[in-house]
Amino acid sequence: MAAGPAPPGGCPSAQRPHLSKMERVVVSMQDPDQGVKMRSQRLLITVIPHAVAGSDIVEWLIQKYCISEEEALHLGTLLVRHGYLYPLRDPLSLLLQPDDTPYRFQTPYFWTSTQWPAAELDYAIYLAKKNIRKQGALVDHEKEHYNQLHRKISHTWDLVVMQAREQLRAAKQRRKGDRLVIACQEQTFWLVHRPPPGVPSVLEQGPERGSCTARRVQMNMDFYRREIEYCRKALGRTRVKSSVCLEAYLKFSSQHGPHDPIMSGCLPSNPWIADSDTYWVVNAPSVAAPTKLRVDRWGFSFRELLEDPVGRAHFMEFLRKEFSAENLSFWEACEELRHGGQAQVPALVDAVYEQFLAPGAARWVNIDSHTMERTLEGLRRPHRYVLDDAQLHIYMLMKKGPRYIVVYF
Amino acid sequence: MAREECKALLDALNKATACYHHLVLTVGSSADSQNLREELQKTRQKAQELAVAARAQLTAALRDRGLGAEERAEFERLWVAFSGCLDLLEADMRRALALGTAFPLHAPRRPLVHTGVTGGAAGIAARALSVRSLRHEAERDFDVNDLRELEREVLQVGEMIHDMEMKVNVPRWTVQARQAAGAELLSGAGASSVGGVSTEGRRRPCDLSKALAAAVFSAVLLVAVALAVCVAKLS
Repeated sequence: MAAGPAPPGGCPSAQRPHLSKMERVVVSMQDPDQGVKMRSQRLLITVIPHAVAGSDIVEWLIQKYCISEEEALHLGTLLVRHGYLYPLRDPLSLLLQPDDTPYRFQTPYFWTSTQWPAAELDYAIYLAKKNIRKQGALVDHEKEHYNQLHRKISHTWDLVVMQAREQLRAAKQRRKGDRLVIACQEQTFWLVHRPPPGVPSVLEQGPERGSCTARRVQMNMDFYRREIEYCRKALGRTRVKSSVCLEAYLKFSSQHGPHDPIMSGCLPSNPWIADSDTYWVVNAPSVAAPTKLRVDRWGFSFRELLEDPVGRAHFMEFLRKEFSAENLSFWEACEELRHGGQAQVPALVDAVYEQFLAPGAARWVNIDSHTMERTLEGLRRPHRYVLDDAQLHIYMLMKKGPRYIVVYF
Repeated sequence: MAREECKALLDALNKATACYHHLVLTVGSSADSQNLREELQKTRQKAQELAVAARAQLTAALRDRGLGAEERAEFERLWVAFSGCLDLLEADMRRALALGTAFPLHAPRRPLVHTGVTGGAAGIAARALSVRSLRHEAERDFDVNDLRELEREVLQVGEMIHDMEMKVNVPRWTVQARQAAGAELLSGAGASSVGGVSTEGRRRPCDLSKALAAAVFSAVLLVAVALAVCVAKLS
């Protein structure tokens, strides 16, 4: 590549296994005994050897790989579209016709895996050569590319012009037949790497495939052991029937529909459109008077109530009246532990124990003995999820306890 | 003058790189042979010699502090062209190494690809070395030893490029190339003669038939004129 000294990230063939497979097919086609039948192309005076007919290629593929004709045609078309074969009569249409249409093989220098990625300097030199040969009559998209390249790499334009001229002069030293073939080869290469508008580029890769290292997996004991383990774990996962799932989904959607600002609009106005932030002010996390819509949401489930700061505050008030506010405080402390910084974990765990769990603590929470035992065990080696069991117990207690939701909604 | 020398060296290097590019095109194809590998070796060695000489001159010129602004700009232009040329050469050498390893000539694990190119390329190598003709004197296992040497030379060229970047600091984007877009069409030497030798296979037959028709017509015209003169003379 003219761009830089080191080859591009990783080995290109490893990221594009389909290219190395295609190359193997092409090379096996060259076998003198079992390869494809070659004929000669006869132009007016010159005779150029090594032309193959489309039907011969399809036949060879069918015979070698024992596949159907449709599949052989598809394979052949892939070979042509990736530039390993090129048609001689109509170079712009990269398709495999299963008849007499002659094709020829691309030289290994121009194989996609050798020259990946195609550099801009090379393309500029190619366009300059074409410009010279056609006396300035380039195709539209090539003209556009040419001007673009001139803007991008104008500092090396001297080199582009010099190289283009010299390469053409060097080409004149060859026989006419060879010159024709080489020109066709180069043209095919650039048709594949800079396709004309409207033709999809075969060399595009989706973003997720770029980092895939398609290493050949060895089917040995370890591999199968891992597969069995994986399948066993997958079987043990809890599954929900799709009818139940979908019902719940429908219920959720119908419940939350009126609350969604995109589905049902937002009052008083959408801040992004109307440029007034009343909506945000009215729905701020801690606002004195929550909107009716917001209060309605608390009725959906206990979780909604707890997640809304205003709702949580109201619930805390309610619990104070019922003399069970320590439950919510404990729950909040556990949340803080779970989502807080790693460095605070030991100190926080100690504080929670002192305040809520120690026998005779100021705000002792009512956890059943089983959970308490497990928690105290875990407290010896504190980590952020050590109070999960206790938190869940208290959460269920609050949820099923004096029904705030029933009382107030 | 130093500038003229540098320009001449750069032109020669450019020619050698272009010829090397043409030779590498056919490695692995049906035109691949011991002779081709030998030509490749000679061309790239010549190119490397030229590169070393040009680099020495350019580095000396660019490190000279007492250089005028215009002269410096000129040398920087030559420098950018030179480093681009060297990059192209290195890339082609790498590809030659990869292809030469993948398509060994003896004990062919892989048959060569039948691409339709069959002729020899001695003329190209001769052009690169600026000699009239090339003699092939390689032994049998030339390509195997050559690949080892090629690997070493690729590393050498890589080091040279790296060295160049470290020693001389030429910001490429400030260099103004002398040739504008479309400059290749204006030259007399390259354009017209090459434009005539159109390499599109399809156009060739039409041009030829047109030329044939024109030749026949002019022959008939000449014959008619000759007959008329004879008739006039006789009568």
